Amino acid sequence: MASPSSEATQPADVALPLGRPARRSWTARVGEYVGFAPAIVLFGLFFLVPLGLIVCYSFWQTVDYNVVHHWTVDNYRYFFSVPTYVKTVWATIWVSVVATLLTLAVAFPFAYWLARYVPRRYQKILLVLVILPFWTSYLLRVYSWLNILGAQGAMNRFLHWTGLTDQPVSFFLYDRPAVILVLVYLYFPFAALTLYASLERFDWNQFRAAMDLGATPATAVRRILLPQIRPGLTTAVIFVFIPILGEYLTPQLVGGARGVMIGNLIVNFFQGAQYTRGAAAALLIAALIVLLLTLFRRSLEVEDPYGT
Amino acid sequence: MARDLDIVSPRGRLTRAALAGWAVLIYVFLFAPIVLLVVFSFNSNKYGTFPITGWTSKWYGQVFHDYQIRDALTTTIRIALEVTVVSTIVGTAAAFPLVRSRLPFRSGIRITLVLPIMIPGLLIGISLLVLFTSVLHQQLSPTTAVIGQAVYTTPFVLLLVAARLQGFDASLERAASDLGANTYQRLRYVVMPLLAPAILAGALFVFTLSLDEFIITLFLIGSHNTLPIYIYTQVKFGITPEVNALAALLLAASLTLMALAFVLPALVRRAVRLVPRKAGA
Repeated sequence: MASPSSEATQPADVALPLGRPARRSWTARVGEYVGFAPAIVLFGLFFLVPLGLIVCYSFWQTVDYNVVHHWTVDNYRYFFSVPTYVKTVWATIWVSVVATLLTLAVAFPFAYWLARYVPRRYQKILLVLVILPFWTSYLLRVYSWLNILGAQGAMNRFLHWTGLTDQPVSFFLYDRPAVILVLVYLYFPFAALTLYASLERFDWNQFRAAMDLGATPATAVRRILLPQIRPGLTTAVIFVFIPILGEYLTPQLVGGARGVMIGNLIVNFFQGAQYTRGAAAALLIAALIVLLLTLFRRSLEVEDPYGT
Repeated sequence: MARDLDIVSPRGRLTRAALAGWAVLIYVFLFAPIVLLVVFSFNSNKYGTFPITGWTSKWYGQVFHDYQIRDALTTTIRIALEVTVVSTIVGTAAAFPLVRSRLPFRSGIRITLVLPIMIPGLLIGISLLVLFTSVLHQQLSPTTAVIGQAVYTTPFVLLLVAARLQGFDASLERAASDLGANTYQRLRYVVMPLLAPAILAGALFVFTLSLDEFIITLFLIGSHNTLPIYIYTQVKFGITPEVNALAALLLAASLTLMALAFVLPALVRRAVRLVPRKAGA
Protein backbone atom coordinates (compact mmCIF):
# COMPACT_ATOMS: atom_id res chain seq x y z
CA MET A 1 0.00 0.00 0.00
CA ALA A 2 2.78 2.37 0.85
CA SER A 3 4.46 1.88 -2.47
CA PRO A 4 3.81 3.43 -5.87
CA SER A 5 4.42 0.01 -7.42
CA SER A 6 0.94 -1.14 -6.44
CA GLU A 7 -0.61 1.68 -8.43
CA ALA A 8 -1.10 -0.28 -11.63
CA THR A 9 -3.22 -2.90 -9.91
CA GLN A 10 -5.30 -0.50 -7.91
CA PRO A 11 -8.38 -0.06 -10.11
CA ALA A 12 -9.06 -3.81 -10.12
CA ASP A 13 -8.64 -3.79 -6.39
CA VAL A 14 -11.04 -0.93 -5.94
CA ALA A 15 -13.79 -2.54 -7.97
CA LEU A 16 -14.01 -5.27 -5.37
CA PRO A 17 -16.29 -4.93 -2.39
CA LEU A 18 -14.79 -3.86 0.95
CA GLY A 19 -13.68 -7.37 1.81
CA ARG A 20 -10.19 -8.50 1.02
CA PRO A 21 -9.18 -8.57 -2.64
CA ALA A 22 -9.34 -12.06 -4.07
CA ARG A 23 -6.16 -12.09 -6.13
CA ARG A 24 -3.24 -9.78 -6.08
CA SER A 25 -0.48 -9.34 -8.56
CA TRP A 26 3.11 -9.98 -7.64
CA THR A 27 3.96 -6.27 -7.54
CA ALA A 28 1.07 -5.52 -5.25
CA ARG A 29 2.20 -8.16 -2.85
CA VAL A 30 5.75 -6.78 -2.80
CA GLY A 31 4.32 -3.30 -2.42
CA GLU A 32 2.41 -4.44 0.61
CA TYR A 33 5.59 -5.42 2.42
CA VAL A 34 8.01 -2.84 1.09
CA GLY A 35 7.39 -0.62 4.12
CA PHE A 36 9.19 -3.19 6.22
CA ALA A 37 12.45 -2.83 4.31
CA PRO A 38 13.96 0.01 6.38
CA ALA A 39 12.80 -1.62 9.60
CA ILE A 40 14.36 -4.93 8.59
CA VAL A 41 17.69 -3.17 8.05
CA LEU A 42 17.46 -1.25 11.33
CA PHE A 43 16.17 -4.04 13.57
CA GLY A 44 17.91 -6.86 11.73
CA LEU A 45 21.35 -5.43 11.31
CA PHE A 46 21.43 -3.27 14.41
CA PHE A 47 19.31 -5.17 16.89
CA LEU A 48 19.00 -8.89 16.16
CA VAL A 49 22.47 -9.38 14.67
CA PRO A 50 24.21 -7.65 17.59
CA LEU A 51 22.18 -9.67 20.09
CA GLY A 52 23.20 -12.84 18.24
CA LEU A 53 26.76 -11.60 18.35
CA ILE A 54 26.56 -11.24 22.12
CA VAL A 55 25.36 -14.84 22.34
CA CYS A 56 28.36 -15.95 20.22
CA TYR A 57 30.80 -13.81 22.17
CA SER A 58 29.66 -15.34 25.43
CA PHE A 59 30.83 -18.71 24.07
CA TRP A 60 34.08 -17.42 22.56
CA GLN A 61 37.39 -16.66 24.20
CA THR A 62 39.45 -13.56 24.74
CA VAL A 63 43.15 -14.24 24.26
CA ASP A 64 45.51 -11.29 24.68
CA TYR A 65 42.67 -8.82 24.12
CA ASN A 66 41.72 -10.58 20.90
CA VAL A 67 38.53 -12.53 20.51
CA VAL A 68 39.16 -16.08 19.31
CA HIS A 69 36.30 -17.95 17.68
CA HIS A 70 36.79 -20.98 19.81
CA TRP A 71 33.60 -22.38 21.30
CA THR A 72 33.76 -22.85 25.04
CA VAL A 73 31.77 -22.31 28.21
CA ASP A 74 34.80 -20.88 30.00
CA ASN A 75 33.24 -17.44 30.33
CA TYR A 76 30.33 -18.85 32.25
CA ARG A 77 32.55 -21.12 34.29
CA TYR A 78 34.74 -18.18 35.17
CA PHE A 79 31.74 -16.04 36.08
CA PHE A 80 30.35 -18.62 38.46
CA SER A 81 33.75 -19.38 39.97
CA VAL A 82 34.06 -15.88 41.39
CA PRO A 83 32.00 -15.69 44.60
CA THR A 84 31.55 -11.92 44.31
CA TYR A 85 29.90 -12.31 40.92
CA VAL A 86 27.57 -15.05 42.09
CA LYS A 87 26.65 -12.94 45.08
CA THR A 88 25.96 -10.02 42.74
CA VAL A 89 23.61 -12.18 40.68
CA TRP A 90 21.62 -13.11 43.75
CA ALA A 91 21.70 -9.53 44.97
CA THR A 92 20.38 -8.38 41.59
CA ILE A 93 17.52 -10.87 41.67
CA TRP A 94 16.77 -9.97 45.27
CA VAL A 95 16.81 -6.23 44.62
CA SER A 96 14.67 -6.65 41.49
CA VAL A 97 12.07 -8.78 43.27
CA VAL A 98 11.87 -6.50 46.30
CA ALA A 99 11.78 -3.33 44.19
CA THR A 100 9.08 -4.78 41.91
CA LEU A 101 6.91 -5.91 44.82
CA LEU A 102 7.34 -2.58 46.57
CA THR A 103 6.51 -0.67 43.40
CA LEU A 104 3.31 -2.67 42.99
CA ALA A 105 2.46 -2.34 46.67
CA VAL A 106 2.89 1.42 46.47
CA ALA A 107 1.08 1.75 43.16
CA PHE A 108 -1.90 -0.49 43.83
CA PRO A 109 -3.66 1.56 46.53
CA PHE A 110 -3.00 4.63 44.44
CA ALA A 111 -4.45 3.16 41.25
CA TYR A 112 -7.36 1.76 43.25
CA TRP A 113 -8.10 5.18 44.70
CA LEU A 114 -7.79 6.84 41.32
CA ALA A 115 -10.03 4.38 39.50
CA ARG A 116 -12.67 4.03 42.19
CA TYR A 117 -12.97 7.25 44.16
CA VAL A 118 -11.87 10.04 41.85
CA PRO A 119 -14.52 11.55 39.58
CA ARG A 120 -13.84 10.56 36.00
CA ARG A 121 -13.05 14.03 34.72
CA TYR A 122 -10.19 14.43 37.22
CA GLN A 123 -8.75 10.98 36.63
CA LYS A 124 -6.98 11.89 33.44
CA ILE A 125 -5.25 14.96 34.79
CA LEU A 126 -4.13 13.10 37.94
CA LEU A 127 -2.76 10.35 35.73
CA VAL A 128 -0.87 12.84 33.58
CA LEU A 129 0.70 14.21 36.77
CA VAL A 130 1.93 10.72 37.61
CA ILE A 131 3.56 10.28 34.20
CA LEU A 132 4.96 13.80 34.13
CA PRO A 133 8.21 13.02 35.96
CA PHE A 134 8.55 10.00 33.74
CA TRP A 135 8.88 12.23 30.68
CA THR A 136 11.94 13.88 32.09
CA SER A 137 15.43 12.55 31.72
CA TYR A 138 16.04 9.17 33.32
CA LEU A 139 19.52 10.27 34.33
CA LEU A 140 18.16 13.37 36.03
CA ARG A 141 15.55 11.42 37.94
CA VAL A 142 18.31 9.31 39.45
CA TYR A 143 20.56 12.31 39.91
CA SER A 144 17.88 14.28 41.72
CA TRP A 145 17.96 11.77 44.56
CA LEU A 146 21.58 12.62 45.31
CA ASN A 147 20.27 15.98 46.47
CA ILE A 148 18.04 14.22 48.95
CA LEU A 149 20.01 11.22 50.12
CA GLY A 150 23.52 12.70 50.12
CA ALA A 151 25.52 13.64 53.20
CA GLN A 152 24.44 17.27 52.76
CA GLY A 153 21.09 16.21 51.37
CA ALA A 154 17.58 17.00 52.45
CA MET A 155 17.19 13.84 54.52
CA ASN A 156 20.25 14.49 56.67
CA ARG A 157 19.32 18.14 57.04
CA PHE A 158 15.91 17.10 58.25
CA LEU A 159 17.29 14.60 60.77
CA HIS A 160 19.79 17.15 61.99
CA TRP A 161 17.06 19.74 62.36
CA THR A 162 14.86 17.38 64.36
CA GLY A 163 17.84 16.61 66.57
CA LEU A 164 17.76 12.90 65.85
CA THR A 165 21.35 12.95 64.63
CA ASP A 166 24.22 15.36 65.11
CA GLN A 167 26.42 13.95 62.35
CA PRO A 168 25.43 13.49 58.72
CA VAL A 169 24.47 9.85 58.17
CA SER A 170 25.68 8.23 54.98
CA PHE A 171 23.29 5.34 55.57
CA PHE A 172 20.84 6.66 52.99
CA LEU A 173 23.27 6.67 50.16
CA TYR A 174 25.54 3.96 48.83
CA ASP A 175 23.66 0.88 49.88
CA ARG A 176 20.85 -1.34 48.66
CA PRO A 177 17.98 0.44 50.43
CA ALA A 178 18.87 3.59 48.48
CA VAL A 179 18.92 1.59 45.24
CA ILE A 180 15.51 0.07 45.95
CA LEU A 181 14.03 3.43 46.90
CA VAL A 182 15.18 5.06 43.68
CA LEU A 183 14.06 2.07 41.60
CA VAL A 184 10.57 2.30 43.10
CA TYR A 185 10.61 5.98 42.23
CA LEU A 186 11.74 5.33 38.65
CA TYR A 187 9.28 2.57 37.82
CA PHE A 188 6.23 3.68 39.80
CA PRO A 189 4.61 5.35 36.75
CA PHE A 190 4.79 2.07 34.76
CA ALA A 191 3.02 0.17 37.51
CA ALA A 192 0.49 2.91 38.28
CA LEU A 193 -0.48 3.21 34.61
CA THR A 194 -0.92 -0.50 33.95
CA LEU A 195 -2.78 -1.10 37.20
CA TYR A 196 -5.03 1.88 36.60
CA ALA A 197 -5.80 0.66 33.08
CA SER A 198 -7.11 -2.65 34.37
CA LEU A 199 -8.83 -1.24 37.47
CA GLU A 200 -10.60 1.31 35.33
CA ARG A 201 -12.39 -1.44 33.41
CA PHE A 202 -13.48 -3.18 36.59
CA ASP A 203 -17.17 -3.13 37.40
CA TRP A 204 -17.42 -2.01 41.03
CA ASN A 205 -20.99 -3.32 41.30
CA GLN A 206 -19.55 -6.81 41.48
CA PHE A 207 -17.63 -5.63 44.47
CA ARG A 208 -20.72 -4.42 46.19
CA ALA A 209 -22.60 -7.56 45.27
CA ALA A 210 -19.89 -9.57 46.99
CA MET A 211 -20.15 -7.45 50.11
CA ASP A 212 -23.94 -7.67 50.06
CA LEU A 213 -23.50 -11.41 50.11
CA GLY A 214 -21.41 -11.09 53.23
CA ALA A 215 -17.83 -10.76 52.01
CA THR A 216 -15.50 -8.48 53.93
CA PRO A 217 -13.78 -5.79 51.81
CA ALA A 218 -10.53 -7.75 52.04
CA THR A 219 -12.18 -10.93 50.79
CA ALA A 220 -13.87 -9.01 48.00
CA VAL A 221 -10.54 -7.60 46.88
CA ARG A 222 -8.90 -11.02 47.00
CA ARG A 223 -11.67 -13.10 45.45
CA ILE A 224 -13.37 -10.68 43.05
CA LEU A 225 -10.96 -7.91 42.15
CA LEU A 226 -7.55 -9.58 41.98
CA PRO A 227 -8.51 -12.45 39.65
CA GLN A 228 -10.01 -10.01 37.19
CA ILE A 229 -7.08 -7.62 37.07
CA ARG A 230 -4.48 -10.37 36.85
CA PRO A 231 -3.41 -9.57 33.27
CA GLY A 232 -2.80 -5.98 34.35
CA LEU A 233 -0.80 -7.14 37.36
CA THR A 234 1.31 -9.42 35.17
CA THR A 235 2.01 -6.67 32.69
CA ALA A 236 3.00 -4.37 35.54
CA VAL A 237 5.35 -6.99 36.98
CA ILE A 238 6.99 -7.52 33.58
CA PHE A 239 7.37 -3.86 32.74
CA VAL A 240 8.90 -3.11 36.12
CA PHE A 241 11.00 -6.21 36.69
CA ILE A 242 12.71 -6.48 33.28
CA PRO A 243 14.23 -3.01 33.12
CA ILE A 244 15.28 -3.26 36.77
CA LEU A 245 17.23 -6.45 36.04
CA GLY A 246 19.39 -4.51 33.60
CA GLU A 247 19.78 -1.39 35.74
CA TYR A 248 23.20 0.17 35.65
CA LEU A 249 22.85 3.84 36.48
CA THR A 250 20.89 3.63 39.73
CA PRO A 251 23.30 1.27 41.49
CA GLN A 252 26.17 3.26 40.01
CA LEU A 253 25.03 6.63 41.32
CA VAL A 254 23.27 5.83 44.59
CA GLY A 255 24.29 2.22 45.28
CA GLY A 256 28.02 2.55 45.82
CA ALA A 257 30.08 -0.58 46.40
CA ARG A 258 27.35 -2.36 48.37
CA GLY A 259 24.61 -1.72 45.84
CA VAL A 260 26.30 -3.32 42.83
CA MET A 261 24.07 -5.17 40.34
CA ILE A 262 24.78 -7.33 37.27
CA GLY A 263 24.53 -4.27 35.03
CA ASN A 264 27.56 -2.77 36.75
CA LEU A 265 29.54 -5.98 36.32
CA ILE A 266 28.74 -6.01 32.61
CA VAL A 267 29.88 -2.43 32.17
CA ASN A 268 33.08 -3.14 34.09
CA PHE A 269 33.83 -6.12 31.86
CA PHE A 270 33.27 -4.10 28.71
CA GLN A 271 35.27 -1.14 29.93
CA GLY A 272 38.07 -3.55 30.74
CA ALA A 273 37.89 -4.89 27.16
CA GLN A 274 36.80 -8.30 28.45
CA TYR A 275 34.09 -8.56 25.85
CA THR A 276 33.51 -12.29 26.04
CA ARG A 277 33.10 -12.34 29.82
CA GLY A 278 30.88 -9.29 29.65
CA ALA A 279 28.78 -11.01 27.01
CA ALA A 280 28.30 -14.02 29.28
CA ALA A 281 27.14 -11.78 32.11
CA ALA A 282 24.80 -9.96 29.72
CA LEU A 283 23.35 -13.24 28.54
CA LEU A 284 22.59 -14.07 32.15
CA ILE A 285 20.26 -11.08 32.27
CA ALA A 286 18.75 -12.11 28.94
CA ALA A 287 18.21 -15.62 30.32
CA LEU A 288 16.45 -14.23 33.39
CA ILE A 289 14.20 -12.13 31.15
CA VAL A 290 13.32 -15.10 28.95
CA LEU A 291 12.61 -17.16 32.06
CA LEU A 292 10.28 -14.48 33.37
CA LEU A 293 8.48 -14.10 30.05
CA THR A 294 7.98 -17.86 29.80
CA LEU A 295 6.60 -17.95 33.32
CA PHE A 296 4.09 -15.25 32.51
CA ARG A 297 3.49 -16.24 28.90
CA ARG A 298 -0.06 -17.36 29.42
CA SER A 299 -1.14 -14.09 30.97
CA LEU A 300 0.75 -12.16 28.32
CA GLU A 301 -1.11 -13.73 25.45
CA VAL A 302 -4.17 -11.81 26.53
CA GLU A 303 -2.35 -8.57 25.96
CA ASP A 304 -2.13 -7.15 22.47
CA PRO A 305 -0.45 -3.83 21.82
CA TYR A 306 -2.91 -2.76 19.14
CA GLY A 307 -6.01 -4.51 20.38
CA THR A 308 -6.44 -6.54 17.19
CA MET B 1 -20.97 4.59 42.03
CA ALA B 2 -19.77 3.51 45.41
CA ARG B 3 -20.35 6.87 46.98
CA ASP B 4 -23.59 5.95 48.72
CA LEU B 5 -21.88 2.97 50.31
CA ASP B 6 -19.18 5.17 51.80
CA ILE B 7 -21.68 7.49 53.36
CA VAL B 8 -23.39 4.58 55.04
CA SER B 9 -20.27 3.03 56.42
CA PRO B 10 -17.88 5.13 58.51
CA ARG B 11 -15.21 2.53 57.88
CA GLY B 12 -15.57 3.03 54.16
CA ARG B 13 -15.11 6.74 54.63
CA LEU B 14 -11.98 6.11 56.66
CA THR B 15 -10.56 3.83 53.96
CA ARG B 16 -11.28 6.44 51.38
CA ALA B 17 -9.56 9.17 53.38
CA ALA B 18 -6.56 6.93 53.97
CA LEU B 19 -6.28 6.19 50.25
CA ALA B 20 -6.50 9.87 49.40
CA GLY B 21 -3.76 10.58 51.93
CA TRP B 22 -1.63 7.89 50.32
CA ALA B 23 -2.15 9.50 46.94
CA VAL B 24 -1.01 12.86 48.29
CA LEU B 25 2.13 11.24 49.68
CA ILE B 26 2.78 9.69 46.28
CA TYR B 27 2.58 13.00 44.50
CA VAL B 28 5.01 14.46 47.04
CA PHE B 29 7.30 11.47 46.47
CA LEU B 30 7.13 11.95 42.70
CA PHE B 31 7.72 15.67 42.61
CA ALA B 32 9.93 16.42 45.62
CA PRO B 33 13.20 15.32 43.97
CA ILE B 34 12.50 17.31 40.82
CA VAL B 35 11.33 20.40 42.67
CA LEU B 36 14.37 20.27 44.95
CA LEU B 37 16.62 20.03 41.91
CA VAL B 38 15.16 23.23 40.53
CA VAL B 39 15.32 24.93 43.93
CA PHE B 40 19.00 24.04 44.29
CA SER B 41 19.75 25.40 40.85
CA PHE B 42 18.86 28.85 42.18
CA ASN B 43 20.70 28.38 45.46
CA SER B 44 23.80 30.53 45.83
CA ASN B 45 25.55 27.85 47.94
CA LYS B 46 28.46 26.73 45.78
CA TYR B 47 28.18 23.09 46.86
CA GLY B 48 24.83 22.81 45.19
CA THR B 49 23.03 21.48 48.28
CA PHE B 50 21.66 22.67 51.57
CA PRO B 51 21.81 25.10 53.25
CA ILE B 52 20.12 27.59 50.99
CA THR B 53 22.31 30.65 51.37
CA GLY B 54 20.50 32.93 48.98
CA TRP B 55 18.93 33.07 45.55
CA THR B 56 20.90 33.57 42.39
CA SER B 57 20.73 32.88 38.68
CA LYS B 58 24.49 32.95 38.18
CA TRP B 59 24.72 29.16 37.70
CA TYR B 60 22.53 29.50 34.67
CA GLY B 61 24.88 32.17 33.34
CA GLN B 62 27.79 29.78 33.81
CA VAL B 63 25.91 27.04 31.96
CA PHE B 64 25.53 29.26 28.94
CA HIS B 65 29.19 30.27 28.97
CA ASP B 66 30.66 26.81 29.42
CA TYR B 67 32.07 25.72 26.06
CA GLN B 68 31.94 22.02 27.03
CA ILE B 69 28.23 22.35 27.66
CA ARG B 70 27.76 24.21 24.41
CA ASP B 71 29.60 21.45 22.55
CA ALA B 72 27.52 18.80 24.26
CA LEU B 73 24.34 20.72 23.45
CA THR B 74 25.25 20.90 19.76
CA THR B 75 25.98 17.17 19.65
CA THR B 76 22.79 16.37 21.55
CA ILE B 77 20.59 18.34 19.21
CA ARG B 78 22.31 17.02 16.12
CA ILE B 79 21.85 13.46 17.29
CA ALA B 80 18.26 14.10 18.32
CA LEU B 81 17.38 15.52 14.91
CA GLU B 82 18.97 12.62 13.07
CA VAL B 83 17.33 10.05 15.32
CA THR B 84 13.98 11.76 14.83
CA VAL B 85 14.27 11.66 11.04
CA VAL B 86 15.40 8.02 10.95
CA SER B 87 12.83 6.79 13.49
CA THR B 88 9.92 8.66 11.99
CA ILE B 89 10.56 7.33 8.49
CA VAL B 90 11.36 3.76 9.50
CA GLY B 91 8.56 3.55 12.06
CA THR B 92 5.89 5.05 9.81
CA ALA B 93 6.86 2.89 6.84
CA ALA B 94 6.77 -0.27 8.94
CA ALA B 95 3.41 0.56 10.49
CA PHE B 96 1.63 0.03 7.15
CA PRO B 97 2.50 -3.61 6.51
CA LEU B 98 2.29 -4.37 10.23
CA VAL B 99 -1.32 -3.29 10.40
CA ARG B 100 -2.55 -4.01 6.89
CA SER B 101 -0.98 -7.12 5.48
CA ARG B 102 -1.66 -10.68 6.48
CA LEU B 103 1.77 -11.53 7.72
CA PRO B 104 3.08 -14.94 8.51
CA PHE B 105 4.61 -14.99 12.03
CA ARG B 106 2.76 -11.79 12.72
CA SER B 107 3.03 -11.96 16.49
CA GLY B 108 6.72 -12.85 16.23
CA ILE B 109 7.40 -9.84 14.05
CA ARG B 110 5.40 -7.65 16.35
CA ILE B 111 7.34 -8.80 19.39
CA THR B 112 10.67 -8.23 17.60
CA LEU B 113 9.60 -4.72 16.73
CA VAL B 114 8.58 -3.89 20.29
CA LEU B 115 11.38 -5.77 22.02
CA PRO B 116 13.87 -2.86 21.91
CA ILE B 117 11.60 -0.96 24.29
CA MET B 118 11.25 -3.85 26.67
CA ILE B 119 14.79 -5.10 27.09
CA PRO B 120 17.25 -3.09 29.18
CA GLY B 121 19.05 -0.41 27.14
CA LEU B 122 22.29 -1.76 28.52
CA LEU B 123 21.94 -4.84 26.31
CA ILE B 124 21.33 -2.73 23.19
CA GLY B 125 24.33 -0.57 24.05
CA ILE B 126 26.87 -3.33 24.60
CA SER B 127 25.69 -5.47 21.70
CA LEU B 128 26.04 -2.55 19.29
CA LEU B 129 29.39 -1.69 20.84
CA VAL B 130 30.60 -5.17 19.96
CA LEU B 131 29.16 -4.92 16.44
CA PHE B 132 30.69 -1.54 15.68
CA THR B 133 34.11 -1.99 17.24
CA SER B 134 34.87 -5.67 16.76
CA VAL B 135 32.98 -6.63 13.63
CA LEU B 136 32.50 -3.53 11.49
CA HIS B 137 35.65 -1.82 12.83
CA GLN B 138 33.90 1.50 12.98
CA GLN B 139 35.11 4.44 15.01
CA LEU B 140 32.54 5.29 17.69
CA SER B 141 30.95 8.61 16.85
CA PRO B 142 27.69 10.53 17.13
CA THR B 143 26.55 8.50 14.11
CA THR B 144 26.91 5.19 15.93
CA ALA B 145 24.97 6.74 18.81
CA VAL B 146 22.24 7.77 16.36
CA ILE B 147 21.88 4.18 15.17
CA GLY B 148 21.75 2.85 18.73
CA GLN B 149 19.15 5.38 19.81
CA ALA B 150 17.07 4.79 16.68
CA VAL B 151 16.79 1.09 17.54
CA TYR B 152 15.27 2.09 20.85
CA THR B 153 13.07 4.99 19.69
CA THR B 154 11.64 3.64 16.42
CA PRO B 155 9.19 1.24 18.13
CA PHE B 156 7.51 4.24 19.77
CA VAL B 157 6.72 5.79 16.38
CA LEU B 158 5.67 2.41 15.09
CA LEU B 159 3.23 1.89 17.97
CA LEU B 160 1.75 5.37 17.70
CA VAL B 161 1.29 5.27 13.92
CA ALA B 162 0.08 1.67 13.94
CA ALA B 163 -2.53 2.54 16.55
CA ARG B 164 -3.73 5.39 14.36
CA LEU B 165 -3.78 3.23 11.23
CA GLN B 166 -5.77 0.65 13.11
CA GLY B 167 -8.52 3.09 13.88
CA PHE B 168 -8.44 4.38 10.33
CA ASP B 169 -11.47 3.88 8.11
CA ALA B 170 -10.17 1.98 5.06
CA SER B 171 -13.27 2.91 3.06
CA LEU B 172 -11.96 6.48 2.93
CA GLU B 173 -9.09 5.26 0.82
CA ARG B 174 -11.40 3.21 -1.36
CA ALA B 175 -13.61 6.21 -1.82
CA ALA B 176 -10.58 8.22 -2.95
CA SER B 177 -9.71 5.49 -5.45
CA ASP B 178 -13.29 5.37 -6.67
CA LEU B 179 -13.05 9.06 -7.33
CA GLY B 180 -9.97 8.45 -9.43
CA ALA B 181 -7.08 9.14 -7.06
CA ASN B 182 -3.88 7.26 -7.78
CA THR B 183 -1.66 5.81 -5.07
CA TYR B 184 0.37 8.95 -4.65
CA GLN B 185 -2.74 11.10 -4.40
CA ARG B 186 -4.31 8.73 -1.91
CA LEU B 187 -1.24 8.86 0.28
CA ARG B 188 -0.82 12.58 -0.09
CA TYR B 189 -4.41 13.73 0.37
CA VAL B 190 -6.07 10.99 2.39
CA VAL B 191 -3.64 8.82 4.35
CA MET B 192 -0.98 11.35 5.35
CA PRO B 193 -3.33 14.06 6.62
CA LEU B 194 -5.06 11.47 8.77
CA LEU B 195 -1.80 10.05 10.05
CA ALA B 196 -0.06 13.40 10.45
CA PRO B 197 -1.03 13.93 14.10
CA ALA B 198 0.29 10.50 15.09
CA ILE B 199 3.50 10.97 13.10
CA LEU B 200 4.07 14.40 14.60
CA ALA B 201 3.46 13.12 18.11
CA GLY B 202 5.85 10.26 17.41
CA ALA B 203 8.53 12.61 16.10
CA LEU B 204 8.32 14.89 19.14
CA PHE B 205 8.33 11.89 21.42
CA VAL B 206 11.43 10.49 19.74
CA PHE B 207 13.19 13.86 19.88
CA THR B 208 12.58 14.03 23.63
CA LEU B 209 13.66 10.43 24.20
CA SER B 210 16.84 11.05 22.24
CA LEU B 211 17.57 14.24 24.15
CA ASP B 212 17.41 12.33 27.44
CA GLU B 213 18.81 8.98 26.35
CA PHE B 214 21.70 7.89 28.50
CA ILE B 215 22.67 4.24 28.63
CA ILE B 216 22.85 3.37 24.91
CA THR B 217 24.63 6.64 24.17
CA LEU B 218 27.16 5.99 26.93
CA PHE B 219 28.50 3.00 25.02
CA LEU B 220 28.30 4.36 21.49
CA ILE B 221 29.20 8.05 21.64
CA GLY B 222 32.97 7.55 21.74
CA SER B 223 34.90 10.69 22.67
CA HIS B 224 31.97 13.06 22.19
CA ASN B 225 29.51 14.19 24.84
CA THR B 226 25.78 14.60 24.86
CA LEU B 227 24.21 16.58 27.70
CA PRO B 228 23.20 13.50 29.75
CA ILE B 229 26.69 12.04 29.28
CA TYR B 230 28.26 15.35 30.28
CA ILE B 231 26.09 15.52 33.39
CA TYR B 232 27.03 11.95 34.24
CA THR B 233 30.76 12.63 34.01
CA GLN B 234 30.32 15.71 36.21
CA VAL B 235 28.18 13.92 38.80
CA LYS B 236 30.97 11.40 39.36
CA PHE B 237 32.88 14.22 41.02
CA GLY B 238 29.95 15.31 43.12
CA ILE B 239 27.04 17.69 42.81
CA THR B 240 27.79 21.14 41.48
CA PRO B 241 25.27 23.98 41.23
CA GLU B 242 26.10 24.32 37.57
CA VAL B 243 24.98 20.75 36.91
CA ASN B 244 21.80 21.47 38.88
CA ALA B 245 21.12 24.43 36.60
CA LEU B 246 21.86 22.41 33.48
CA ALA B 247 19.62 19.63 34.80
CA ALA B 248 16.81 22.09 35.44
CA LEU B 249 17.13 23.39 31.88
CA LEU B 250 17.05 19.89 30.46
CA LEU B 251 13.98 19.10 32.58
CA ALA B 252 12.22 22.18 31.26
CA ALA B 253 13.12 21.24 27.69
CA SER B 254 11.77 17.69 28.00
CA LEU B 255 8.55 18.82 29.62
CA THR B 256 7.98 21.52 27.01
CA LEU B 257 8.57 19.07 24.17
CA MET B 258 6.26 16.49 25.68
CA ALA B 259 3.58 19.10 26.18
CA LEU B 260 3.96 19.97 22.50
CA ALA B 261 3.68 16.29 21.61
CA PHE B 262 0.23 16.39 23.19
CA VAL B 263 -0.99 19.77 22.07
CA LEU B 264 0.35 20.00 18.52
CA PRO B 265 -1.23 16.84 17.10
CA ALA B 266 -4.64 18.02 18.25
CA LEU B 267 -4.04 21.34 16.50
CA VAL B 268 -2.88 19.57 13.35
CA ARG B 269 -5.95 17.35 13.46
CA ARG B 270 -8.15 20.40 13.64
CA ALA B 271 -6.26 22.08 10.79
CA VAL B 272 -6.44 18.92 8.69
CA ARG B 273 -10.16 18.68 9.19
CA LEU B 274 -10.50 22.11 7.65
CA VAL B 275 -8.35 21.39 4.60
CA PRO B 276 -10.55 18.94 2.66
CA ARG B 277 -13.51 21.24 3.07
CA LYS B 278 -11.53 24.04 1.48
CA ALA B 279 -10.29 21.75 -1.26
CA GLY B 280 -13.81 20.60 -1.95
CA ALA B 281 -15.26 24.07 -2.16
